[in-house]
Amino acid sequence: MMIPSRRSFLMGAAALSAAVVTPDLVRAAQAAAATPDWALATADVEADITARTLELVHGRAPAGLEGVLFRNGPAKFRRPGGSAQHWFDGDGLIRRFALSEGRVELSARFVATRKRAQEERLGAMVMPGFGTLGDPRAEIGSPDDANAANTSVLMAGDKLWALWEAGSPVAMDPITLQTEGYVTLRPDLRAMPFLAHPRIEPDGRIWNLGMGGDQALVWRLSADGTLEDASLIPLPRASYVHDFTATERHLVIVLQPWVRERQTMPFADGFAWRPETGTQILVVDKDDLTRRRIFETDAFGFFHLGDAWIEGDDILFDIALHRDMDFAARGASEIVNGVPLDGEAARLGLIRLKSDGATELTRLPAIAEFPRSDPARAGQMRRLSVHTSADTPETPFARAIGVTDWSTATTRTFDFGAGHVVDEMVWVAKPGTRSEADAWLIGPSLNLTERRTELHVLDVAALEDGPVATWRADVALPAAFHGIWA
Amino acid sequence: MKALLAAAALAFCATPALAQDASADVTFTFQVGQPTGHVMVALFDSQAAYDGSGDPVRVARVDASAAAVQAVFEHLPAGDYAMKAFHDVDDDGRMATNPFGMPTEPFAFSNNAVGNMGPAGWNRAHFSVSGDTAQMINLAQ
Repeated sequence: MMIPSRRSFLMGAAALSAAVVTPDLVRAAQAAAATPDWALATADVEADITARTLELVHGRAPAGLEGVLFRNGPAKFRRPGGSAQHWFDGDGLIRRFALSEGRVELSARFVATRKRAQEERLGAMVMPGFGTLGDPRAEIGSPDDANAANTSVLMAGDKLWALWEAGSPVAMDPITLQTEGYVTLRPDLRAMPFLAHPRIEPDGRIWNLGMGGDQALVWRLSADGTLEDASLIPLPRASYVHDFTATERHLVIVLQPWVRERQTMPFADGFAWRPETGTQILVVDKDDLTRRRIFETDAFGFFHLGDAWIEGDDILFDIALHRDMDFAARGASEIVNGVPLDGEAARLGLIRLKSDGATELTRLPAIAEFPRSDPARAGQMRRLSVHTSADTPETPFARAIGVTDWSTATTRTFDFGAGHVVDEMVWVAKPGTRSEADAWLIGPSLNLTERRTELHVLDVAALEDGPVATWRADVALPAAFHGIWA
Repeated sequence: MKALLAAAALAFCATPALAQDASADVTFTFQVGQPTGHVMVALFDSQAAYDGSGDPVRVARVDASAAAVQAVFEHLPAGDYAMKAFHDVDDDGRMATNPFGMPTEPFAFSNNAVGNMGPAGWNRAHFSVSGDTAQMINLAQ
């Protein structure tokens, strides 16, 4: 008699799990009921988005604007058997906005990673990540088994690479967005990390880093994605590096006092905030990676830097300054679970590394993240940066776009309002122009009121007037991280 | 369900035959990505040995250019085993790693088990031998 009753108990448990009433789902439902509508910014997308034409809802398409905006960001966090616990750990969805003859076509496909295949099979998000502990069932024989390919994109020759930061690029067809496979640039460099923030010289040469504690691999690739060189350099500390910057002659590696002290999972739990040690900035010559200088400045946290340039013998670059790395350690987990942020928004700063070894840090009042500038001036003298912005520090995501002029240290903004989550925008020079300000800004927002994704084009010269054109999709895609114009 | 019952009945009937011949052959056939170098194979008969505190019971070095890349371990006593293999593609006798220590030459375990940020554990890789046993192991990275 024991056997049937035990069996029926097991059957009952199986039936329950088949109906997917798991604690995770209940929590997710409670979170959804309690959250404001900006929870849409970290919502799940259940399937690839087939190509569709966007509706022009404002203005008109600028003449001569032709190209494709590729963007990457996490768009699947939750499965019945378990969910990712951090914004950085969702599956990468590549968005493709193609602008041609005044029309915009949108398609989006998930990068077909081994992570995603395993999690689909198990019906659970099992991979450990930046802020997710992971599940013992996860099968991980290589860092690329946990690669979410969710952070940015890069055109390498005729391939689109989806980038993470702790594993290989994943090659895709830039038209169909079909995944082709993990990129091994040389057999002995298989599965080496490749940051999601390569620095690309105006002639197309690609510089990047692969972080490994207190050393970094410096990647140098030609414009077609062929490896030119890969060299290890030592670092003075095992700092968290998400982004670096470069002038035409230097690599600039900012080492914030968030340092890896333990080998543990989730990845972020291995880092400790050590503000008493300040921030170090390592400058390495591109022509001779053994030639280096170290600058020191105040403690701050950061993810993103602007392109650097040289003035006289000084090196300058902009930065989105965080008070600390609480957002990485905690805030980005709460965002996924629909908890409003109580942290302080990042603000724009300018760092000048002087030839005498001193460092000047200028803090601007503007709230800012995702700084970008004219790619044709990468590493060279420039005066303008575009960045997301906001009216109030309390806004959980950006709602405005800003352009800061470094010659006057002033910021102009356009506020889309509380009903929009504004993504990073790219800088696109108007055809046939030479002035830095003759440019468009192109990027999406998530319209929370309409529950739709929109694509906007703004004119840098008349930023405060708002978009010159806005198209609206018939879908709502969550906020994304980074993109390129190609 | 019927098929399962039939299989169970078959297994039951087979037991007396096994008792008469306690030794068995274990064959691993490796799928390799490139036909160069050798496949290095180590077979263990206990978790302790598998975890590093003992020696393998059998080892093999198999030519990866052979028509069938196979390791055959003959006349093994019945029991639990687990196997580790790597494809020494460049034939230098060691498992190559990238500058941060991650293996760059293909490796695998019995059952095609995959670990969780490390080698597959005994719990995933072990298998029971009570008669001739064959496994196809994927080393094609």
